[in-house]
Amino acid sequence: MQGGTSVRLYGLEWPKESARISRVFDLLVAAILFLAVSGAFHLHYMLTAGDWDMWIDWKDRQWWVTLTPIMAITFPAALQYVFWTKFRLPIAATFAVVCLLFGQWINRYFGFHLWSYFPMSEVIPALLIPGALVLDVALLLTGNFLFTAMSGAFAFALLFYPTNWFWLAPYRLPVEVMGQLVSVGDYISYAFTRTALPEYIRLIERGTLRTFGGHSAIIASFFSAFVSILMYLAWWHIGMLLARVVTTPNTLKNFMGLTDKDEPAETAQKAIDGTSLQGRFVAAE
Amino acid sequence: MTITMTHNAKSAAEHRIQPLANFKLAAGVTLAVLALMVFWRIFQQVYAWSAGLDSTEPAFDAAWMTLLKVELSVIPLLWVVTWAYLWFTRDRNLGALKPREELRRYFNLVLFIFVYAFCVWFATSFFAEQDASWHQVVVRDTSFTPSHIVLFYGTMPLYVLFGVGSFLYAMTRLPKFATQISIPFGLAVVGPFLILPNLGYNEWGHAFFLMEEVFSYPLHWGFVVMGWSVLALGGLLIQIAMHMLEVIGRLSKEDEVSVATQR
Amino acid sequence: MRTFCFRKSSRVLVILSAAAAIMQIGILTFVPDAALAHGERNQEPFLRMRTAHFYDVKWSTNEIPVNGEIVVTGKFRLFPIWPVNLPLPEAAFLGNGTPGPVLARTESYINGVPAIQSTKLELNRDYEFKTVLKGRVPGHHHVHPMINVMGAGPLLGPGNWLTVTGNESDFKLPIKTLSGETIDNLETWGLGRVFFWHGLWVAIAIVWLVWWLRRPLLLPRFRALTEKGGDRSQLVTSTDRLFGAGLLVATILIVFFGFQATDAAYPRTVPLQGSRATVEPLPEVPEQVKVVVNKSNYDVPGRSLRMNVTLTNNGSTPAQLGEFLTSNQRFINHEVSQAMATVDPSYPKELLPPNGLKVSDSRPLKPGETKTVDIEAADAAWETERLSSLINDPDNTLGGLLFFYDEHGKRTISNVSGPMVPVFTDPDNRTAENPKGGAG
Repeated sequence: MQGGTSVRLYGLEWPKESARISRVFDLLVAAILFLAVSGAFHLHYMLTAGDWDMWIDWKDRQWWVTLTPIMAITFPAALQYVFWTKFRLPIAATFAVVCLLFGQWINRYFGFHLWSYFPMSEVIPALLIPGALVLDVALLLTGNFLFTAMSGAFAFALLFYPTNWFWLAPYRLPVEVMGQLVSVGDYISYAFTRTALPEYIRLIERGTLRTFGGHSAIIASFFSAFVSILMYLAWWHIGMLLARVVTTPNTLKNFMGLTDKDEPAETAQKAIDGTSLQGRFVAAE
Repeated sequence: MTITMTHNAKSAAEHRIQPLANFKLAAGVTLAVLALMVFWRIFQQVYAWSAGLDSTEPAFDAAWMTLLKVELSVIPLLWVVTWAYLWFTRDRNLGALKPREELRRYFNLVLFIFVYAFCVWFATSFFAEQDASWHQVVVRDTSFTPSHIVLFYGTMPLYVLFGVGSFLYAMTRLPKFATQISIPFGLAVVGPFLILPNLGYNEWGHAFFLMEEVFSYPLHWGFVVMGWSVLALGGLLIQIAMHMLEVIGRLSKEDEVSVATQR
Repeated sequence: MRTFCFRKSSRVLVILSAAAAIMQIGILTFVPDAALAHGERNQEPFLRMRTAHFYDVKWSTNEIPVNGEIVVTGKFRLFPIWPVNLPLPEAAFLGNGTPGPVLARTESYINGVPAIQSTKLELNRDYEFKTVLKGRVPGHHHVHPMINVMGAGPLLGPGNWLTVTGNESDFKLPIKTLSGETIDNLETWGLGRVFFWHGLWVAIAIVWLVWWLRRPLLLPRFRALTEKGGDRSQLVTSTDRLFGAGLLVATILIVFFGFQATDAAYPRTVPLQGSRATVEPLPEVPEQVKVVVNKSNYDVPGRSLRMNVTLTNNGSTPAQLGEFLTSNQRFINHEVSQAMATVDPSYPKELLPPNGLKVSDSRPLKPGETKTVDIEAADAAWETERLSSLINDPDNTLGGLLFFYDEHGKRTISNVSGPMVPVFTDPDNRTAENPKGGAG
């Protein structure tokens, strides 16, 4: 292979055709990851913190602020393991929350608004992007999951409430309804009824013993930040576990009509690329 | 130099005859899946309000139970046909597989997984969260709601078709997947599949103790854990990347040998 | 504030509607044309017979334009023989038994107390309710009053059909805030700000992603990390780090100053309001007629409920049994004119079984008198309303209210409850399909 037929990518020589093929692979995998992460992360998020995210009158200063970052840091952490350790890409958290937000907006519009008639003002998703950017940059700059957890995961949760206050504030203006004080958000959800979700079912701040001068959201953010660090560490390792290339011999091989001669030379003994354990699980990082 | 160019021209000509992968089929299937998803969503828009509010009405039977019956008969039939086709047309001489054909099959596998992910997205994101909105509109009186009939009995069996299909494709056509079963691939297929049996727990809970639809209740966490298994696609990605680099390496060597021979 | 209305302008909806119309023509031929109630009939009969009994329910109108108002009023009693498997109404909410937000609820009260918050209710007590709804989505909607009880779910009152006419795009729900802002329409309030901030952050995120995605991505990077000779310094360059650091600073600054600016723009806000309302039940009225169920059968082929009851009048005026109310079905004793007079001609016909209530002795029960009578509520409603599925319930105790009237039409209410024994066969060969019997 001479000059015109190959390229150097990150210090290694690639035949031009292979480089082109690898770019096609990039695009296909990017599309797969976008769909799969959007689907799986959205499913996880909607079933662990979804009610707070779906409704304007669930976005309280206690549970919403506490739970959302804790539940949302999971997939970013797991994907950061794969993206960073295998590809040195510090974009996993941003990628994950953009995928999530895409699924949510599509749904709020097509599902909640067009199908079930809820006004958009009742069903706005929370914003997680600033926290995710900081999480990614923390990994880029520190290159270490522990430091990322201590700084990035902490910031991921701390930034959550102020980020969302940008758009949430107008829904927390006070109004008088039937002689009662409520917020605009309370009234929107009261007016545009959810038949199966009565008021009492909301898991929201119901008044606390001591709110430290009304700083509920700040207290909740700090607690959330602490748990987010732990969650980050746990999910980094879940990412590690699920990104392991583990194989087991195909017991149907003979039934399929394959013989040893059909095995590629290097897989027969070395399996994928790791060490063979005499037909037991073969793992490679 | 001239020889190399000749070789390149020949290689390009080969490519025209045999493209990198079966993109046309993948595009066709993706469009068909998209059309089906659009059909389902429009069906919901039309019949959820006009015939889907009360499961005791004849209209509900005519629209929704008919759709359910069609889904439950057609999709399993597609399972049998597709999986049987993949199985019976398997490559029985994998030892003789040339690198270029192997690379092509890897790309076909990636396209298969793309269609799988496409279906998974509609099921676990699009139709799953819609479920939360529709169940706020009705007084839930059946397990077969207009939302569930599409979500659990339509989109989910459909992604099982492509999930298991892609697994079988790899197992029957790619040497490394034929000799060694990939655990992350298995997880990425079996996990989302298990969402279906977990539906039993969901309906059990809603029938016996949970009348209100709160998405975050522990009753739904089985779905969450199954959803985590999609992360195993990361392991599969690494595995495919390793395999493909190896195949590309062999391909380059083969090309070099071919060039040298011609020279 | 700019206003947005998706449904008004959406091209997507136009396409959806066109496809929907085609599908309507194509498939609706197979679907019987029916407007639907929403799910109450499939609720277990014990839920409908022994929880909330709604009575005196009135709908102010049955047709309104978009933005027009309908007022639903009435009373409900929480049955004392509450199913043992249901939690007590420690937290309850006056719900809105409509198919979702096709109507906007502007006001609701229980015994005059605003019902925007949940409240505790008491068994064997009566409450008066009022709900004001505003037409939003045109169509033919079933409107019920409803009580949600925590853990027990929605308990529906009687439903009536309401037609909403006009254009949905004309709907508006304005309100003025206590801090002085005028909101034209709550449906679209605040969305301009939402789109701006969501759009801005998505744009920044895309810049960050593209910064990395534009380079050879997966296989080359993976190879560079795993093979000898791979140059890791090219994978993450110092420019990348600088760009990342800049982004970090910018993100934190935008969040900080954005937060400050938002606080300055909205200095007076309140948290979500989650208190509980306190509602006193209506004054307790002593039960004038004591009802003891000696035996009750549900005749499956005859589709009728028969009860043998002993009535004791503990009051000072005569009392005539005029109505048996269960599961929102009003079985009226046609022999009692005072009971017949309570039936509003516009009351939904499907809630008034035409055969009414047959009482073996309808003569007034004198003060102090005790009498045993047979009462029969026979109607196809037991099947169509799926109340006969009580025989499939693990708790087949029936429940309902009996309404007694004196000669001036004054009403007193008694609870009636007892075990129900089904009768599956009878000598006349009657069946559920052929209730008249004979060879038919």
